[in-house]
Amino acid sequence: MNNLCADIGYRSLNKKGELLCGDSVEVTSQTDNSNSKIIVLADGLGSGVKASILSTLTARIIAKMMAEGLDIEDCVSTIAATLPVCSVRGVAYSTFTIIHLIDNEDAEIIQYDNPHVILLRQGKYVELPTTIMKIDGKEIYKSRVSLQKDDVFIAVSDGAIHAGVGKYLNFGWERDNIIEFSETFCQVGYTAKTLTTILLDKCNELYGNEPGDDTTVCVVKIRKREPMNLVIGPPQDPDDCSKMMSLFFSKEGKHIVCGGTTSMIAADFLRKKLIPLLEFPDPEIPPIARIDGVDLVTEGVITINKVLTYARDYLAENEDYAAWSFHRDGASQIARLLFEEATDINFYVGKAVNPAHQNPDLPINFSIKMRLVDELATCLRQMGKNIKLSYF
Amino acid sequence: MKITVCIGSSCHLKGSRQVVEQLKELITAHGLEEDVELSGTFCMGKCEQGVSATLDDQQFSLSPENTKEFFEKNIRGVLAAK
Repeated sequence: MNNLCADIGYRSLNKKGELLCGDSVEVTSQTDNSNSKIIVLADGLGSGVKASILSTLTARIIAKMMAEGLDIEDCVSTIAATLPVCSVRGVAYSTFTIIHLIDNEDAEIIQYDNPHVILLRQGKYVELPTTIMKIDGKEIYKSRVSLQKDDVFIAVSDGAIHAGVGKYLNFGWERDNIIEFSETFCQVGYTAKTLTTILLDKCNELYGNEPGDDTTVCVVKIRKREPMNLVIGPPQDPDDCSKMMSLFFSKEGKHIVCGGTTSMIAADFLRKKLIPLLEFPDPEIPPIARIDGVDLVTEGVITINKVLTYARDYLAENEDYAAWSFHRDGASQIARLLFEEATDINFYVGKAVNPAHQNPDLPINFSIKMRLVDELATCLRQMGKNIKLSYF
Repeated sequence: MKITVCIGSSCHLKGSRQVVEQLKELITAHGLEEDVELSGTFCMGKCEQGVSATLDDQQFSLSPENTKEFFEKNIRGVLAAK
């Protein structure tokens, strides 16, 4: 066991005019070991519904079988036997790329007919040692490397290397071009999701916003674990204040305090002054405050509600990134800490009912707070973070 | 004189930002930076009367509409009488 973990991001562009994407990405943890992850990118033959079914089946079957510890040979023959045969072309076909992270120590990469996975180490392209195996007459490439901090694996479907063919480029955006482009910014500290967005936006641009093929980018970034702690809400029993705070502050990593009353309790516990700032960088979000020894102090429900909006967008289109990536309001700061910096997040949730918030005229109440925290935790889990919730 | 305005969730929704910004402007416009200190606080526990504010030890209920009146009467008025 080391202190590395994987940050995984992926997104697809649909071929122009298609409602469904013919590429699929599936991420699962190995059943008996949550430190081992399986990422499958499959590209189904053709486009639209048919391709979508082929790639979804391929990605799901491989991910599930590998999660249960089965051999790649078994996976491939299962897929060949299961996929429906295309009536036009007479074949059942979907290409795939598998990145299997073992104990966060090694990566095994298995590829069939997709553009080869790109490994950037210390920001520079590294050739993967590859062997070829034949399974059911298919040539399958297999590589294994031990992981290092800041390794970036980029898997793409062929839509990416064909971006711009005949439009802006003669031969498309070849693998070498993608490598050259990625090397320039992969070390800046962007998350896997943001790296994905940058690459995919470039593909879309080269296609002139009219993708000629389904295009998928999947980035796996190996990084150090970064614990983060967030407390929101006073405990149900006021006598539990110092218990809650001492558990919270004894944890390794940064500390975020959300909520007016909560921050007063935190300030009392630390015997420090609570200084609210009277600045409104975002008119919607209440100001932040400072307490010596706390990394960030914000208001509660309104701020967290905004963070949740950002989290949902981050998992979908990632369009708000331009806002929260540098803004100074409380919600943007929490978003940066939770989405970008943290890998393991401990939530300390106080269940006290704030009498002032029970006013029916106000759009906030106790159940909303609980729901916000639950939904935020769900989103963060989807981002691949380890989440622990403790209630007081 | 010290004005403290609540910037907690409830008062925020009732317009504490507008109150703070109006007060900031009024203080600067009348050149009272030396006489009046403006600060914020989280929940004062009087959310139903928000936007909660205190002027020294006195409690007030402000809104973006009555802020100017409050400033004229309780701040400029009192300072002028001194």
